[in-house]
Amino acid sequence: MSQPNPLVAGISRRLNGPQTLGNSAFFWCAWLLGLALLVALPLLVSRYQVINASNILISCILAMSLCLIWGYGGILSLGQASFYCIGGYAFGVVGINLIDAQGNTDLALLAGIAIPVVFATVLGGMMFYSRLKGVYIAILMLVVSLLLGLFMRQTADPSYTIGSAFLGGMNGLRPATSADPSIPNMILGFGDYVIAFDGRRSEFYWLVLGLTTAIYLGLRWLVNSSFGYVLIACREDLDRTETFGYDVRLVQLAVFCLSAAIAGFSGALYTAWGTYIHPDGFGVAPNILVVIWVAVGGRRDLTSVIVSTMLLSWISLELTSSGEISLLALGVILVLAMLLAPEGIIATAGAWIGRTVRRRGGMPARSRESVT
Amino acid sequence: MSEPSTTMTVPHAPDPTAPILEVVDIYKLYGGVHALDGLSMSVQTGEVHCVLGPNGAGKSTFFKMLMGTERPTSGRVVYKGEDVTRYPAYRRARLGLSVKFQNLRVFPELTVYQNLFVPLRRKHAPAQIPARVGAMLAQVRLPGSEDRPVQQLSHGQQQWLAIAMSLASDPELLLLDEPTAGLSQDESEQTAAIINEVNASGVTVIVIEHDMAFIRSLKARTSVLHYGRLFAQGSFDEIAANEDVRRIYLGTA
Repeated sequence: MSQPNPLVAGISRRLNGPQTLGNSAFFWCAWLLGLALLVALPLLVSRYQVINASNILISCILAMSLCLIWGYGGILSLGQASFYCIGGYAFGVVGINLIDAQGNTDLALLAGIAIPVVFATVLGGMMFYSRLKGVYIAILMLVVSLLLGLFMRQTADPSYTIGSAFLGGMNGLRPATSADPSIPNMILGFGDYVIAFDGRRSEFYWLVLGLTTAIYLGLRWLVNSSFGYVLIACREDLDRTETFGYDVRLVQLAVFCLSAAIAGFSGALYTAWGTYIHPDGFGVAPNILVVIWVAVGGRRDLTSVIVSTMLLSWISLELTSSGEISLLALGVILVLAMLLAPEGIIATAGAWIGRTVRRRGGMPARSRESVT
Repeated sequence: MSEPSTTMTVPHAPDPTAPILEVVDIYKLYGGVHALDGLSMSVQTGEVHCVLGPNGAGKSTFFKMLMGTERPTSGRVVYKGEDVTRYPAYRRARLGLSVKFQNLRVFPELTVYQNLFVPLRRKHAPAQIPARVGAMLAQVRLPGSEDRPVQQLSHGQQQWLAIAMSLASDPELLLLDEPTAGLSQDESEQTAAIINEVNASGVTVIVIEHDMAFIRSLKARTSVLHYGRLFAQGSFDEIAANEDVRRIYLGTA
């Protein structure tokens, strides 16, 4: 490369490192090209496909939240979709109640992040401070998600009303009376200065694309920071890391809450996108689906997880018209991936591309990054 | 915390005659098996102390009780006058305890530098870490190996890296479980030299070992565990001459 610009070098040092695949100039060129394609997508495809693409990007955010806690933190949660749904319900309930008074959904979006975090703090506090590990956490999270789903299904009774919002059981969240507002779109800003993002329009797609990119870059910075090293150490050997003087329970709780915040955020976006949320999201299939996205791509790399979530969600959409085939197909892909590339199909392919490019270009393997 | 035995200890002038560590009547039951069966012993500040004993005598369990990765069924662990029995491992680490376990528990997929980064990060600013790593690697006979992946190191080099990781937190009491396991004669001698240098810098060291020549070269006070209790204690020469110790090692007991 030419003379290093200090700003570029500083950003590069923070975003690149051994915890992520794809740290080369070649990778970032391809990444920018991909991003440019995604930005231009609404000009290239039909409006219906843009609506679907928005939903796929929301799924990518959810997948990154599981990638963080499972791939980097070593904590498999089979209940990641529950944070997504809690965030979705929180956005809806607060949105219905405040949209007329406030004219925006700022607080609803905040609730979509904060309430999953409060829930994760209580649940994670109990799990990590009682030193629960591995498969017990995975199962406990799935059970909690199923229980929440059971509860939400039986809220068809009119007594389950929060202000102007009626939980609505199997039919999903609704306004309590016909006079109350329905679930709002994403409306951000203050007072008269608000921008509305209708989930069926390209503006919403670009908003979600920007947020996905920001979360991706933020997480890359986090996992390559010195905290990221502690996180990896906890994943590799929890007891050993504790004997270095780290309160590993606190590390696990912190990353669990961050993961819940990101998942809840994606759930809030989902509710705003479709202006509906219902209890099916707490079920087994949505929870397993997130695991499949992450595992097939490569749970230890953020980029791989995003690529695989895009591809698998697209395959799901294409197969939706064929009924239950969709989930079956993903199951087959998961089994094949685990047999052929246990570290993930995209991650394995990405590592191969990286080696090939380095060999062709005669570039030396990266030496030690200074970790800051 | 409410322990009345929190005696006056002046941090900068430790009393060399005071024990840095005392364990009092420790029991540890796994199911019905007594891994530790009423063990009591103490370790003096500044010494190198060897722990000997046949397989299953409770040596590694003893270390887990000291570091706090597991808790005793009953009994007390007192470190520098403070009852730490209920403290989790990270609190003991912050008080100055550090351990190298029997299986090395290095991070094989990371480089040497990255392995040392995690234990160093807690106490040192990131900018200081490269220099600290360089100094520590020189100390454990691995100079210049920062960028090597750990899985490419020999077993002996991995032992030394594991020792360096335990030293990264600047401990006052270092616990080493079998630091010469799988090492050549020459590497064992180097390891003994490393331990003596660490001790000379003021760190109290407790070593679990089987290698008699190695223990002799450490000139350490030696405790023998048998069936989870203290069986004999004394200088290495006294222990080596002890008929009962020879008997339990030969398995005729």
